[in-house]
Amino acid sequence: MPLIPYTLAPFIQARPWLSKLFKPLAGWYHGAAGYRQMGLRADDLISEENETVLQALRRLPPKEAYDRIYRIRRATQLSLQQKILPRAEWTKPEEDVPYLSPVLEQLDAELKERAALDTLAPLKKH
Amino acid sequence: MICRAALSRGSQLAIRRQGARGFAAAASPKASYEPTTIAGVKVAARDDNGPTTRLAIVAKAGTRYEPLPGLTVGLEEFAFKNTQKRSALRITRESELLGGQLTAYHTREALVLQANFLREDLPYFTELLAEVVSQTRYTTHEFHEEVKDVIHLKQAKVGASAVALDAAHSVAFHSGLGAPVYPTPNTPVDSYLNENAVAAFAESAYTKANIAIVADGASEAGLQKWIEPFFKAVPASGSPLSSSAAKYHGGEARIPSVTGNSVVIAFPGAALGASQPETAVLTGLLGGESNVKWSPGFSLLSQATAAAPGAVAKATNYAYSDAGLLTIEISGQASAVKKVAEESVKALKAVAEGGVSQEQLVKAIAKAKFTLLSGSEVSGVGLVHAGANLIHGGSPLKVAETLQALESVTGDKLKAAAKALLEGKASVASVGDLHVLPFAEELGLQV
Repeated sequence: MPLIPYTLAPFIQARPWLSKLFKPLAGWYHGAAGYRQMGLRADDLISEENETVLQALRRLPPKEAYDRIYRIRRATQLSLQQKILPRAEWTKPEEDVPYLSPVLEQLDAELKERAALDTLAPLKKH
Repeated sequence: MICRAALSRGSQLAIRRQGARGFAAAASPKASYEPTTIAGVKVAARDDNGPTTRLAIVAKAGTRYEPLPGLTVGLEEFAFKNTQKRSALRITRESELLGGQLTAYHTREALVLQANFLREDLPYFTELLAEVVSQTRYTTHEFHEEVKDVIHLKQAKVGASAVALDAAHSVAFHSGLGAPVYPTPNTPVDSYLNENAVAAFAESAYTKANIAIVADGASEAGLQKWIEPFFKAVPASGSPLSSSAAKYHGGEARIPSVTGNSVVIAFPGAALGASQPETAVLTGLLGGESNVKWSPGFSLLSQATAAAPGAVAKATNYAYSDAGLLTIEISGQASAVKKVAEESVKALKAVAEGGVSQEQLVKAIAKAKFTLLSGSEVSGVGLVHAGANLIHGGSPLKVAETLQALESVTGDKLKAAAKALLEGKASVASVGDLHVLPFAEELGLQV
């Protein structure tokens, strides 16, 4: 199952004029979602209660995995205290890079390939 | 059911052979392959027009040449994993669909990637082997999820006899050839073995100068056609893997173990292509493994084991490019191993003092000839032999001359050879119950 089942993103990204139109809107949406004020990245929000995501988390380099846990614990603490971080510590848009979704995509491709090969019907040449 | 005509034909042949009484009458066999070079890669090919083909890449990257412990094993396990073009799963499934078998294994000197397949699939498997050699990705997740686990499982299976053989090599050659062929669970390799080190090792191991292709059952034209395009991506040469020339030291190693008991008694042996027919005949004379069913056999080691049931013994000459090791490997129950070790040294001493009977000599020469000829064929064991010979720049075995040399071995020569071995330093390794297993000195050997 892909990360986001139905998405218009590739359609928009393929058309420069459309993507130019939506860019400010996307930026505003990310800011309004509020996770950056808690010091999180977009990929931290992916639910980990799922075999694929667990496997992807295992594949993260140790430093990435440590930082992820740190961000999540900090955000939990902030949530308990009903606070947000001081403005200087908010996640900057350039820091908000996907670090988990590429691994997830790779895993999805692996699973898809396995399913395809498992249901393969070989055609005889003769 | 055996048809009557076939039976009588067989016996006729046997009678005819007996009449000729010629061990030498084996119509002067030729070298079984001609080494060629295709697109910068050394190739040994033999074609008997059979329906199946065995294609192997033999790389000069055995444990002798690994810069850090465990890298050869890592490289072997990374064979047929994800490449730039396709995944490991796809490689496995595709070759299954074609009925092919993919294996990777290593010796002390060579790393072998082998594919066995139907004759018409030569292009597919040539491409696959070239791809594995030049485009494997050595990913971190595969190392942690697959390679490491498999290595740990295989390490756990290393038995007492393998440990003893490794220990004998280690005391005989120290570094280089002395490196263990498979690290045991007690060998510290984890600090050296990681995907980056393996990738760096692969870069210097898989170069055109460092590999040879051995093909059994593939047409020359097919190889000419397919090797050139597919091996384009393989670099011509890289930083060479170095190993100092092997030097024999000798000594004793004793390793406690609860998994089994094994004693290896080793002497300097004959290198690949060395003209030391006495060593080959002596190996045949010591023998060990029975050639007939329901009998312990008649070689010297068989007689030694017959006296002590519960142990097996065999003599082998491990031939490497610039050195050899003549070994007597004994394993089984501790007390039986001890008895057989004592008996076999006694037998060797008897050869050194009294020589051998004519009958034993004839048998030993025949056995040595069989070992030599079966090793010089490109199929079976010879696949690795041929590859190892090519990557070390050796010429194919001159079969006729070597056979002649074997036949010229006399009892006196054998006696002298055995004497020289016993006077020199031996390498003795004992693994298992050290309370029972003998010291080299107790066996009457110099270490």
